[in-house]
Amino acid sequence: MPGGRVCAACGCSEIEVDAARGDAVCTGCGSVLEDNIIVSEVQFVENSGGGSSAVGQFVSLDGAGKTPTLGGGFHANLGKESRAQTLQNGKRQIHHLGNQLQLNQHCLDTAFNFFKMAVSKHLTRGRKMTHVIAACLYLVCRTEGTPHMLLDLSDLLQVNVYVLGKTFLLLARELCINAPAIDPCLYIPRFAHMLEFGDKNHEVSMTALRLLQRMKRDWMHTGRRPSGLCGAALLVAARMHDFRRTVKEVIRVVKVCESTLRKRLTEFEDTPTSQLTIDEFMKIDLEEECDPPSFTAGQKKLKIQQLEKALSKKLEDFEGEISSYQDEIEIELENSRPKAKGVFANFTKDDSIEDNTSSILGEEEAEDEELEAAANHLNKDFYNELHEKDRLKKSEDGEWKNGKEATVRPPALESLLGPLPTAASLGITESIKECISTKDREPGENTGDGELDLSGIDDSEIDRYILNETEAQIKAELWMKENADYLKEQKEKEARIAKEKELGIYKEHKPKKSAKKREPIQASTAGEAIEKMLEQKKISSKINYNVLRDLNSKGSNTPKKEDDSTDDSTNTKKLSRRKSIASRNIANPVNSVGKRLRPLISTQLAKKAATEEVTFQNAQAEAPDLEKPAAVLVESGPVAYNPDEEVEEEEIEEDDDHCMSALQLMGGN
Amino acid sequence: MDAESDVALDILITNVVCVFRTRCHLNLRKIALEGANVIYKRDVGKVLMKLRKPRITATIWSSGKVICTGATSEEEAKFGARRLARSLQKLGFQVIFTDFKVVNVLAVCNMPFEIRLPEFTKNNRPHASYEPELHPAVCYRIKTLRATLQIFSTGSITVTGPNVKAVASAVEQIYPFVFESRK
Repeated sequence: MPGGRVCAACGCSEIEVDAARGDAVCTGCGSVLEDNIIVSEVQFVENSGGGSSAVGQFVSLDGAGKTPTLGGGFHANLGKESRAQTLQNGKRQIHHLGNQLQLNQHCLDTAFNFFKMAVSKHLTRGRKMTHVIAACLYLVCRTEGTPHMLLDLSDLLQVNVYVLGKTFLLLARELCINAPAIDPCLYIPRFAHMLEFGDKNHEVSMTALRLLQRMKRDWMHTGRRPSGLCGAALLVAARMHDFRRTVKEVIRVVKVCESTLRKRLTEFEDTPTSQLTIDEFMKIDLEEECDPPSFTAGQKKLKIQQLEKALSKKLEDFEGEISSYQDEIEIELENSRPKAKGVFANFTKDDSIEDNTSSILGEEEAEDEELEAAANHLNKDFYNELHEKDRLKKSEDGEWKNGKEATVRPPALESLLGPLPTAASLGITESIKECISTKDREPGENTGDGELDLSGIDDSEIDRYILNETEAQIKAELWMKENADYLKEQKEKEARIAKEKELGIYKEHKPKKSAKKREPIQASTAGEAIEKMLEQKKISSKINYNVLRDLNSKGSNTPKKEDDSTDDSTNTKKLSRRKSIASRNIANPVNSVGKRLRPLISTQLAKKAATEEVTFQNAQAEAPDLEKPAAVLVESGPVAYNPDEEVEEEEIEEDDDHCMSALQLMGGN
Repeated sequence: MDAESDVALDILITNVVCVFRTRCHLNLRKIALEGANVIYKRDVGKVLMKLRKPRITATIWSSGKVICTGATSEEEAKFGARRLARSLQKLGFQVIFTDFKVVNVLAVCNMPFEIRLPEFTKNNRPHASYEPELHPAVCYRIKTLRATLQIFSTGSITVTGPNVKAVASAVEQIYPFVFESRK
């Protein structure tokens, strides 16, 4: 380094560097410029056996990280950078999962490589690590051709197979890896083994393979789960070799539904191959191929649809005739309305309904036959509701009945729909009206222009969409009834928030859902919080829960400070004498902060450490502040700012290590 | 398109999704109370309004953004959107019909022949992806058109794209490939 350097004292540039001594000395004036130069030479030390070995440590290629701690790191991940941690974590999970699947080391390494690629392309972001790992493993299975299904992976992880599939597809696409298509033949040996055919295992497998190939040619296998096909093939093969395997057993092995299996069997039955005997099947291979079953099903559907169309056309013809009768009936009814019989007279009281019905009927009269038919289609439902069966009869009686039914229709609906007469009936009659009348306007509206202002849009129709006051009220009631649960929840929530606000503990909880993080422990007292935390974490069997509980019972509630301060001091004294770790944790952060700087305690505590030990009163004042930072650490605020502190300190020292670890754990919570 | 055969392929558009803005804050509660054809979903904060004439379901947010689905053509979608805006106007809001955009078009098309899917996938990597364990169709993505086609072994194809033209050209593009792997 000091190649071009100049001596500071005399200005001469002749500087000698001695690597052995680690000095840089100026030859002119003799002043030492550098001392203890760090050199990069290899040094050797002598072994016990007499040989020499180089001095040094192995550093992993992956992590740049700091040098390992001299005391031995507690965690493997302590001090490494995030990327290395991720990779190591991933490696561990891959191995764990891969061993469960009985994958060999080569596959696991390949999977890890995929994972590394995924991480470098940031594909792990926003996705559960387990999903990405599973996708990498499955990718390996596919490329190697192992008989592992995505279903197996999802079974192991208890994750929805489609979710895994999505991740897998994304991974394959991003990494530009073409996973070869699944061949159901791959699964046969595996399933055959599970079905335990004993000596004939090989023969059954071969038969099943042949069956599968036949199925392929018959177009049964495209678009189907390979496992279903395997199941069907194996079942048939087993039967052919006189093994009685029930459908249930096969299903358990193959993991498809019973109906799927049956369906495959029926499809196979439909193929001509099924007609061959066993011997024939082994020898001959039919030339022709069949259509895929879904195709034939589609053809059937088309035929049925065509038939239906023809039928409906005929129906419409009939209905055209009926509608003309309907017109006549309604004209008559207009005249004969006041003669409506007593039973129905009640329903005709309401004027608004009357007006609507008359207007409806009036409109209907004006319409074409086609529209009438359409209206009848709609009205059919109402008629059915009213148990009207002879609507299609053309007899006079029938027509008269029809007529009556027409007037009765809106009021009767009223009764049917119970407590909501106006809104319901109006709503429905509106809809009929709208359907009928809009068909009339159809040609006009489609040629509307681009501007919003009313061109091509019928205002009156839109007006119909708007309910008036009474209707609005009724609808509001309806909605309230329906959504009662949700509204109740909201009210409770608000009440809770208001209460918390009063107590001054209200925190803004944002609706973040992180399933992995544990929910923040909410407790009114700190003692409660500790208990809950310990329940969750299950730190140590050495914690004396009885002591904890005592602490709770005697412990201070946060608002009361002065009274409890003395209690707490005695408590901690007692506890410290019992040497329970929990009390250490409680007492220590506050007590010993002054003496020892615990790095894991919140900064607020650390800041206050200096002043704590000085005065007792200060401590009391600070107690409320201390309470807030960490729910767990801080409880029993005004703890032991008392002359007993020094006594306790001695006892505390013994448990230093314990304290550290428990504290760490709590701090890391 | 029909470069290799004389049969005309009819592409049936089944759904058109569009969005527009009303540029004014909408009071969902009022719409819910006074509209006869609305469903108010308070827990997610939106109102569903269904029109009959162009059969359309619109999702309305209080910010004034409206998504309209169910139309069978682009014109119909625009028309329905306008009607919707008109009915909102009638309810008393100062609605301005802006930013109308067709977002997604879904169409169905039927090939007169069946298709071998594994073969098709092999010939068309990386665009095509086929997972029989998950879905019976091959998923073919055309990046340039931003269109996705789902190809079934029976020969029916479902296409989704940003507009009707893209959908049509996607079908044109895929036809030769599909024809190669036909049964």
